[in-house]
Amino acid sequence: MYIRPVQRHDLDALTILAKNSGVGVTSLPDNKQKMQAKLEQALMSFEQSNAKEDRLYLFALVDEDTNDVAGICALEASIGHEDVWYNFHVGKSVHASRDIGVHKVTQTLYLSNDLTGSSEIATLFLMPDYRKDQNGQLLSRSRYLFLAEFPELFDEYIIAEMRGYSDEEGRSPFWDSLGRHFFQMEFSDADYLTGLGNKAFIAELMPKFPIYVPMLSDEAQSVIGRVHPHTEPALAMLKSEGFDFNGYVDIFDAGPSVSAKIKDIRAVKESHIQRVGLSERGPLPDLNDKHGLLLVSNRKFDDFRVTLVSRGAAGDDTLWLTQKQASTLNVTEGDTVRVVSLRPTENAS
Amino acid sequence: MLVVRPSTFVDLAGIERLLDETDARVTTLPKDRDKLSEKISESDDAFRSGAEGPSSFLFVLEDTDSNTVVGTSGIDASAGNGYPFFNYRLDEVVHASHHLNISSKVPVLFLSHELTGRTLLRSFSIDPQWRDTDGFELLSRARLMYMAADPDRFNQELIVEIQGIFDDKGVCPFWDAVGRKFFDLDFLTADYYCSVKTKTFMSELIPQHPVYVPLLPAEAAGNIARNHEAANRICQLLYREGFHKSKFIDPFDGGPVLKGQLNYTHTYSNIRFKKAKPSEVIGGMKYLISNQSTSDFRCVIGTLVDGIGDTIRLPLDISQALNIREGDQIAYSPL
Repeated sequence: MYIRPVQRHDLDALTILAKNSGVGVTSLPDNKQKMQAKLEQALMSFEQSNAKEDRLYLFALVDEDTNDVAGICALEASIGHEDVWYNFHVGKSVHASRDIGVHKVTQTLYLSNDLTGSSEIATLFLMPDYRKDQNGQLLSRSRYLFLAEFPELFDEYIIAEMRGYSDEEGRSPFWDSLGRHFFQMEFSDADYLTGLGNKAFIAELMPKFPIYVPMLSDEAQSVIGRVHPHTEPALAMLKSEGFDFNGYVDIFDAGPSVSAKIKDIRAVKESHIQRVGLSERGPLPDLNDKHGLLLVSNRKFDDFRVTLVSRGAAGDDTLWLTQKQASTLNVTEGDTVRVVSLRPTENAS
Repeated sequence: MLVVRPSTFVDLAGIERLLDETDARVTTLPKDRDKLSEKISESDDAFRSGAEGPSSFLFVLEDTDSNTVVGTSGIDASAGNGYPFFNYRLDEVVHASHHLNISSKVPVLFLSHELTGRTLLRSFSIDPQWRDTDGFELLSRARLMYMAADPDRFNQELIVEIQGIFDDKGVCPFWDAVGRKFFDLDFLTADYYCSVKTKTFMSELIPQHPVYVPLLPAEAAGNIARNHEAANRICQLLYREGFHKSKFIDPFDGGPVLKGQLNYTHTYSNIRFKKAKPSEVIGGMKYLISNQSTSDFRCVIGTLVDGIGDTIRLPLDISQALNIREGDQIAYSPL
């Protein structure tokens, strides 16, 4: 399995992915036209023919045996550029009176555009059949090697928006207590419209004044900043890389936004350059050995590739690859590669 | 005879008894002897000084036959008495998307000080035994008669806060949905503080951001600008007087604020002033009749026969009750 930039012929595969993704993955529209527009944007980004802040880097996880696209992930260079980027900032209002002995801290949601200009760890979706063998890890963490290689294309900070809590019927208690009053539609419809890139309606319909949290339903209050159960592994992965809740939540489902300074991300900080050596004797990656794996990228831009190799393949300055691995990465002996352990070492126990 | 006059310290026990017996909440009159006596003292100053600026008048309705206080009413010349006067203004914002064919008017409560400095009619309470007598009207309208005696001290715009909906146990759905979340107090306690503490705590605790009405529980939202049924009678009277519901509500219980223009109130616009001639009067029509003393004001209900002359005959018992001697000016307005 390896990661590469999306290509024009991936359109049908991406449309199938989107159909499978369901409610809550707002950046994957279940609509071929819109998907094509996204694909075009990504192709231009890898050609560097659009403005830096408009770039969307879409990567596909490819099964080299079948050439099937098994998953997709993305990096957004700068959010809130063409559209307006909205979050609620979870702040506090303090109401205190010494005279009558009251001191009350009230959580308050402030509509904000504060995250505008940040880079974003965007879409990630992996086909159910491929949710094994470290594919999710490879798909998600491969992006850090791209960030490590090309920091000048991104902001100092990168954020990730986590899908908020909704129940099995796709019902979001936060939406029901707040958004519904202003949008007069179901959460899944609102979500679909944002996914289509139809964001103007957010500005037109959003409540502009701050919202006192105690005025929402108890259920809504309890899900502010809480992720969807399916998103918990993704959140754990981001946290292990140094991401943390930044005090902003999604305006629809109150899912948390997490962020990190790019240079402080574990995989960026710990990644290093090695020279490729070819050898057929090196150990092959054991995909069951969680901590015995390394992410390797070829350091290229428009033909960026990432795959997993065994920790045992790394020498002092040399990374020993088989011919097959080298051709997957499109490198030859003597080229340099960027290497980092797939998982943080402090978790190795 | 029923007489409305300024309160004095002698009335203290009588007012206390009255507050115990009335079901209506009278925010501006605390059931606390020290605080009550402070109120009377403030009122005393207001009646005596004649000065400009914040003054707080407290009247009592006395049954002179039994020497009992059977009602209270008051005026704050300037709502807030020098502090901000808080209300919510019920307004609407339109959330519309042409593209999605959605348009909805969302009601929003905005904190407002706009009514600060208006003249506030307040502290209305009457002994249940006297509710269905002319005394009810006398007690309320005598305040407008008083303003006619010294109109420069009052604002043209009059406001009245009508008590909102809460039950016998003091449970107020509007309070529980709004104020309680910030004041951390139950309704009755907050209400009590409101009457005995300085108003600073209000400005410290009241939520500053607008409140979206659709976020409130249905019961609380439904009670906005609705009055307690115990206030039905006073509302009816005030509507007849020319008051109307405004966009403002009480920030505590959500009760309506009624507004009126002094000049256009029924009582004030029909007032006439004439020199009195104490004498026997036979027949005639019922009027509110008051003297023109700002410090020793008296107002009663009596019958007069009005003619075209500058002098009017005033029944002897009324002359006595109003401290009127021949040639003194009186004011009267049809009941």
